[in-house]
Amino acid sequence: MARRIRHGAGVRDASAPASAASDPDDAASSGNPTAESSGTRAAASGSGRKFHLRRQGRAAHVFLLPWLLGFGLVTSVPLFASLYLAFTDYNVLSSPRFTGLSNFERMLSDDRFWAAVSVTARYVFISVPLQLGFALLLALILDRGLRGLAFYRGAFYLPSLLGSSVAVAILWREIFGHDGLVNDALAWFGIEGQSWLQNPSTALSTLMVLNVWTFGSPMVIFLAGLRQIPEDLYEAARVDGASKIRQFTHVTIPLLTPIIFFNLILQTIGSFQAFTQAHIISGGTGGPVDSTLFYTLYLYQQGFNSFNMGYASALAWVLMLAIAVVTAIHFFLSKYWVFYGDD
Amino acid sequence: MSTMDRRTFLKTTGAGALGATALLSACGSDDGSAPGGPTSVRYAWWGNNIRQQNYTTALELFQEEHPDITIETEFAEYTAFQERMTTQMAARDVPDIFWIASAQVMTYEKNGLYRSLEGLDALDLSDFSDQDIEFFKLNGELNTMPHGSFVPVVRYNQTYLEEDGYELPGDADWTWENLADFLIDYNDNNPNGRRGLPYDADHDISFEAWLRQHGQQLWTEDGEMGFDAEALAGWFEWWERLRTAGAALSISEQDGIGPDWAEVGERVLVKFGSSNHIIDEAQVFPDSTFKLRPAPAIPDAAAGHKFIYYPRLAVYQGIDDAQAQAAASVVSFNINSVDFLKTVGLTMGAPPNPRLLQEAYEFASDDEQEMLAVVESETDAERSPRYEAPAGTSTWRTVMSRAAEEIALERSGIAEASEAMIAEIQAGIDQEK
Amino acid sequence: MATMLAESRARRASRPPSSSHVVRRRRNAVFKHAGLWVFMIAMIYPLIWMGVSSFKPGNLVLSEPGLIPSEVTLENFTEGWNVLNRPFSVFFVNSLIVTVGSIVGNLFSCSLAAYALARLQFKARKVYFAITLASVMLPMHVLVIPQYIFFSELGWVNTYFPLLIPKFLATDAFFVFLMVQFIRTIPRDLDRAAWIDGAGPFLTFWHVILPLMRPALVTTTIFTFIWTWNDFFTPLIYLTSVDMYTVPVALSSMVDSETQSGIGMLFAMSLLSLIPVMLFFVFAQRYLIRGIATTGLK
Repeated sequence: MARRIRHGAGVRDASAPASAASDPDDAASSGNPTAESSGTRAAASGSGRKFHLRRQGRAAHVFLLPWLLGFGLVTSVPLFASLYLAFTDYNVLSSPRFTGLSNFERMLSDDRFWAAVSVTARYVFISVPLQLGFALLLALILDRGLRGLAFYRGAFYLPSLLGSSVAVAILWREIFGHDGLVNDALAWFGIEGQSWLQNPSTALSTLMVLNVWTFGSPMVIFLAGLRQIPEDLYEAARVDGASKIRQFTHVTIPLLTPIIFFNLILQTIGSFQAFTQAHIISGGTGGPVDSTLFYTLYLYQQGFNSFNMGYASALAWVLMLAIAVVTAIHFFLSKYWVFYGDD
Repeated sequence: MSTMDRRTFLKTTGAGALGATALLSACGSDDGSAPGGPTSVRYAWWGNNIRQQNYTTALELFQEEHPDITIETEFAEYTAFQERMTTQMAARDVPDIFWIASAQVMTYEKNGLYRSLEGLDALDLSDFSDQDIEFFKLNGELNTMPHGSFVPVVRYNQTYLEEDGYELPGDADWTWENLADFLIDYNDNNPNGRRGLPYDADHDISFEAWLRQHGQQLWTEDGEMGFDAEALAGWFEWWERLRTAGAALSISEQDGIGPDWAEVGERVLVKFGSSNHIIDEAQVFPDSTFKLRPAPAIPDAAAGHKFIYYPRLAVYQGIDDAQAQAAASVVSFNINSVDFLKTVGLTMGAPPNPRLLQEAYEFASDDEQEMLAVVESETDAERSPRYEAPAGTSTWRTVMSRAAEEIALERSGIAEASEAMIAEIQAGIDQEK
Repeated sequence: MATMLAESRARRASRPPSSSHVVRRRRNAVFKHAGLWVFMIAMIYPLIWMGVSSFKPGNLVLSEPGLIPSEVTLENFTEGWNVLNRPFSVFFVNSLIVTVGSIVGNLFSCSLAAYALARLQFKARKVYFAITLASVMLPMHVLVIPQYIFFSELGWVNTYFPLLIPKFLATDAFFVFLMVQFIRTIPRDLDRAAWIDGAGPFLTFWHVILPLMRPALVTTTIFTFIWTWNDFFTPLIYLTSVDMYTVPVALSSMVDSETQSGIGMLFAMSLLSLIPVMLFFVFAQRYLIRGIATTGLK
């Protein structure tokens, strides 16, 4: 059955710049299976359509039951609690005290807050494209047609397994430290290096390198996405005489765009929230002199080291708003470049 | 509605969820002690795996002697310990006995987490003098107990001194000025290309020694800063002289402020630190012998400038009397038993109990003897009281590290960085008011 | 495997093989492999260094950082294995319990939620989807304390419930979002056809969508395994007794920020703890291939 239908969705469908939806709701209104197919079926009528909608609504809530329970019991309490705490002075050890907007006012004049914003913004805008480009490139190389793929994939995934381990702090010093590998290499050319980790103008770059080094997760998602592209689309393209390059630009890339989009969204969110690696490598300080003070690291320092959980919550919600705005922009722009198979 | 307690707060934010909580909690949680029956006590501490093993064994010793008391241990590495502790305190699910990280002592005190130890018969304080007890008190109340003690020291590599044919300034000439001159000379002229010392301008208790000699202190009795920008700048200047002369490693050379001893230990002659560090750190370089000197002094240092730093533990305030008595007997064992001390070793410094200090000499290693001696010499000296970091300053050490980095990386001047540091710490204190 | 065969067969069929062509292709393959090897070694050099270091005596790891050890020992492994008074296998078993439970939970709950959000039409959908995204956006550090208070009220501290139950309730919004995106790459004609054939949403989900979203399920499994296996903060906070510790919490006790004395053991045990994850990854990523082999060549 699957095969019969596949041929229906031909290669032209996939590469044509269809009106890609920005979020699932838009897609649903245009491409709801029941609503559309009912027209082709004699049995369907206006009231049947309503019935189907109601039935779908009920079915959806059955599917969503665990999620609804999870949201009601586990997620919503901390979510609303942190929203409330954002308007309080809460030192964790005693009860929160409502202080209105003072946490938000405090941010405006907080130099370290602005330092953290700047560090995080630079990190997001530089390291996300780098890491994604790198991951996509390797996913394409490791997709198929090579002996020992499993081995290569495993090897290239290794750094990501270790990326958040405490051992990374020491590894990174062995590479970018004063007596590290980079400086050993420079010494060959007669250049005397310095500690790249401890120079405020290069420290952030070493963390970007670390981020690119741990490209395994987006790579795996890309690999899975490549596997998701139906083989017969390539077959159809070959029948049409499309070259390898044309297959890549007209089949692979368009059909991969939802996955590229997904990776872009999540890596952007992940980079806005970057914490673990900076925490490990700077020993939690964000040093030297705040040059790796990521936003979430600062938030953590305020909440857990300085016991300003109210201020930390306010910081968290400001970050969330910033991420939401960037994500909304991504969703808006996705209309112009993301192609869904479900239109 | 400007304040609310945690429970109402939870109810208002997640009423539905709390309904479920009530339902589910009926089948959860046991509260440890039944009156009259066996008692269970939670003991929380930090450290590395060796300390975990030693304290577990020592606490088992206690349970053998007190079969009616069971100890549940909660252990974690230092940073992780504090994360978990903060979370537990927010939920009022605190271990019955817990170690206190130095910067948090007064923060916890202000928030009423300590149970008063006065009136707990199970706690034997007979080895301590009245003056000792006075030093242990916080705001006039005995609610924490020191379980170790250390002092700021200069640790030097005796093997290097001998190899290079150098001698440290004598006890009578043991001043900051002379030490700096000596280190610069050593750095420039020793035959093996060794360096003077790592850059440790952010070492807390060495700085405290400097302040007290200058008639100032870190913190005052009423929870304010006890030092001014001038004294602070003087301290940074002493380090800058060594750094610019090359006698102190640069931030780059030592890969950051607060360097790893394993990475710098072979390159330097001396290191500023706390007296207890010799025990672990000397073992990293078994070919060298390490010795300790107290921190240097200024020629006309203020009277009573010497001091001892006590790491503390406390009994949680929210437990009932029977539980508290059981906890007190654990604490008593911890601070008074020589078997306990033998098992856990001296990594938390010399025992504050003067009787134990003497007994410890019998089983201490050479390095440990060195440490005991330097602490004992300070114990005997005249000491004016010292006060713990007030609430709102729990990150003052990282603020200081940042100031030291600013200076050593030549991104701001000493005066500027000193004033910025004082302003930031002061803002933290003001925030808490 | 099947695809590789199919593909090479297809290629052979389309272009008549000439001997010079074969030679060129072989040469290309050799270059490709050589390039990959050089690149790979550069990428995993830090791990090689770590591996070598774990066989050095602890105090030499940092003071003699070269790749060729002057002294080789197994003591890091033997001491590390018994690091907290019990064999390290205890922590492996604990980690396995948490990890397997989390995988089952995530696969079950997230796929259900994702199907509803991606394919079914109902009023609150936009809101639910926004909530899902929002919960990915809020930094976890401000959620930790309220969540801990909640679980501690339930009396669940020092049990695995706070680690496992949320997974069965689709709280890992990341995976819901991932699956939604994957489901949306599946041509809608497929489930439309099933629906026309009279299968309801449940049968369509089970027989059409679930088999077709296999790569997403495998990806979810891989990530859940790795992230849960490596997670430090959650087990640290909820598991207080050493007997309950997972591997990362046990590893952290070897960190001595002052002296780095446990570093040899840390490396040795980190390496051992990588093995299950690595094996799992190599095993699971095969299904990324097989997923397409079965659906594509049916």
